[in-house]
Amino acid sequence: MLQTIRRALTSSAGRAFLELLLVILLGVAFNADGAFFKVGTHRDTLRQASVYGILACGMTLVMITGGIDLSVGSILAVSSVSFSILTMHMDWPWWLAIIACLFLGSALGSMSGALVSNLKLQPFIATLALMSFARGFAKLITDGKKISTYVEQGGKVIIKQLPPVFKFIDSSILGGDVSIVSVIFLVCFLAAWVFLARHKWGRELYSIGGNEEAARLSGVPVRMAKFLAYTFSGLMCAVAGIAQAAQETQGDPVTGDGYELIVISMVAIGGTSLAGGRGGMGLTLLGILTIGYLNKILSINAVPDAGRRMITGVIIVLAVLMQKRRTK
Amino acid sequence: MRSILKFALCAVLLCFLATMPIFAAGKTFVIGMSQCNLGEPWRVQMNADVKREADKHPEIKMVFKDAQNDVLTQRAQVEEFVSAKIDLLIISPKEAQPLAEPVAKAMAAGIPVIVLDRDINGENYTQFIGANNVKIGRALGAWLVKNYGGKHAKVVEIMGLQTSTPGQDRHSGFMDAIKGSDLDVIFSVDAQWLEPQARSEMESALSRFNNIDIVYGHNDPSAHGAYVAAQAVGREKSMVFVGIDSLPQEGIQYVKQGILNATFQYPTGGDVAIVQALKILAGQKVEKRIVLGSRMFTKANVDAGGVAIP
Repeated sequence: MLQTIRRALTSSAGRAFLELLLVILLGVAFNADGAFFKVGTHRDTLRQASVYGILACGMTLVMITGGIDLSVGSILAVSSVSFSILTMHMDWPWWLAIIACLFLGSALGSMSGALVSNLKLQPFIATLALMSFARGFAKLITDGKKISTYVEQGGKVIIKQLPPVFKFIDSSILGGDVSIVSVIFLVCFLAAWVFLARHKWGRELYSIGGNEEAARLSGVPVRMAKFLAYTFSGLMCAVAGIAQAAQETQGDPVTGDGYELIVISMVAIGGTSLAGGRGGMGLTLLGILTIGYLNKILSINAVPDAGRRMITGVIIVLAVLMQKRRTK
Repeated sequence: MRSILKFALCAVLLCFLATMPIFAAGKTFVIGMSQCNLGEPWRVQMNADVKREADKHPEIKMVFKDAQNDVLTQRAQVEEFVSAKIDLLIISPKEAQPLAEPVAKAMAAGIPVIVLDRDINGENYTQFIGANNVKIGRALGAWLVKNYGGKHAKVVEIMGLQTSTPGQDRHSGFMDAIKGSDLDVIFSVDAQWLEPQARSEMESALSRFNNIDIVYGHNDPSAHGAYVAAQAVGREKSMVFVGIDSLPQEGIQYVKQGILNATFQYPTGGDVAIVQALKILAGQKVEKRIVLGSRMFTKANVDAGGVAIP
C-alpha cells in the first residue's frame, strides 16, 4: 500500500499533481477574503487558462519530438485578425471563416514543419523565423490596426453588429459555470491525447524524441511525423486565435505577444521534457492548471506586477526541480 | 576598360536620377516623422492624424518611420533623416535621455525639430507638443467625485503599466483628485494596458468584492475588458465604467454603445504638429511648449463632439 503511494508520488504524474496541489494550497492560504472558494473564480481560472491550454496541446506534441514552437503567439494573432476580418468586415458565414482560419493556421504551422523536417533547420531557429514572419503578416493584413466592428469604408464609418459567433464562443454553459472556450480547450485536449496515447503517430513522435536516428532506422517516417506535429501546432494556434478574438471582441495584430513562453513553461513544469521523448497530455493538463491557478491566486490578491513575475519565476524553478528524476 | 567606362556612365546616370526628386521638388518640404512604436493603436492614430492634416497641404511630403519600440532603431532613423537633409523632423521619442543627443544633432544640422507627446531631456528642440496625463487623471477623478461622491462608492482601478510614465501619471493625477473625497479604491492592479489582462484582473476583483461601483481603466481597452468581465456575471449594470484615450474606433464607440459612461481624451497632437510645422517652415516664431487641451465624452455629449475639460 505504502509502496504504491510512494511509487505514484515519484512518477512524473504524481509530481505534477503535487505541484498543482501545492499551488492550490497557496490559494487556500491566501484566499483573498474567500474569493478563492467561489465557483466563479475557478470558472474564470479555466477560461483564462484555456487559450494557453489550446496552444499547449500543440506545443506538447512538438516538444515530445525534441522540438520547440516559438511561433504560437504570432500564429494566434494571424488567426485572430483573419477571423475578425472575415466575419466582421467581409461578412463571411461563421463556419466558412472558421475553416479558412484553421486552414491558414495549419499552413503557417506546416511552414515551420517543412523548415524543420525537410530543410533540417533547428526548431528554435525555424519557429523563431515563423514567429517574426507571422507577426509581420498579422500587421500587414490589418495595417497595424485592431479589427473591430468599427469599419471605415471609403471615408465613411459604419458600426457593424458583433457577429453572433463571437458572443457564442465567449458565453458559458451549465448555468454559467463552464465557459465555451474551456469546452473548446477540452476538445483540443482530447484530440491531442488520442493522437499521443492511442495512435501510431504518437508513438512515432515519442520514438523520434527518444532517438531520431534509431527511429529512422526502425522505419519511422521521421520527416512526415515531425512535419505533422508542427502543422498540428499551427492548427491549435488557429483555434486559440479564434477563441482569443471572440473574447476580445476584436482582432488585435499584437495579441498573443509572449504567449509562447507561458505555454512552454506550462508544458515543461507538467513534466514533458524539453529534450524530447518524455511527457504526455495528462502532464500538460496538470501544468496548465498549475500556472493557471498561480496566475489567478496572484491576481485575486492584487499582487503587484514585479512581485508576480518574481514569484512565477521561483515557482517554475521549484516545479522543474520537483520533476527532475533522481539519478540512481 | 570599356566595362569600367560603362560602369562609370551608369553610376553618373544613377546619381543624377537619385538627385532628380530634389531638383524637381522645388518648393515642396520634406517632413520626417519618427514614430517610436506603431504597435500601439494610439500611435497608429497619431500617424493617421499627421497624415490627414499633411494631405491638406500639397507642398508637404511626409516620410514616416517606425522605430518598433527600440531606442537605438529610433536613433538610427533620426540620423538617416539628418543625412537625407529633410526640412523638418517630427519625433515622438521612445525615451527622454537617449534621444536628446540625436535630436540635438538634427538641430545642429539646421533641421527644426518638433517633439511630440513624450519629452526629451534638455531644451534643444524647436517645439514640444503634448498632453498632460496628470491633468487628465485629475480631471477624471474630479468628474467621478462630482457625480458619484457622497455615496461611499467603491472603486476598482485597472492601471496601465506602472513602470511607464503615462501609467504613473494617470494614477497620481487620479489619486490627487479623489483625496479627501469618500471614493474608496478597493482594488488596484496593473494590467499593462492590455485588454485580455484587464478582463482577467476584473474577474478577480468581481469574485473578491460583492460591491463595486466604479471601474477606472487607465485606457479605454482596459475599461472595456473590465466591462466584458462584469457582463459575463451580469453585474455590469450596477457599475460605472470610465476610461482614457478616446480613440474614434475605441473609447468613442464604447461611449456611444453605452459600454463606458465616460472617456477622457488623450489627444495625439498629430494635426497640431503639422499646423505648427508649417509655421516653422514659413519662418515664424513659435511657442516652445504647447500643452494640448483634452476633451471628455459621455453618452449625452458624444455626438456633439464632447466637452473640453478645464
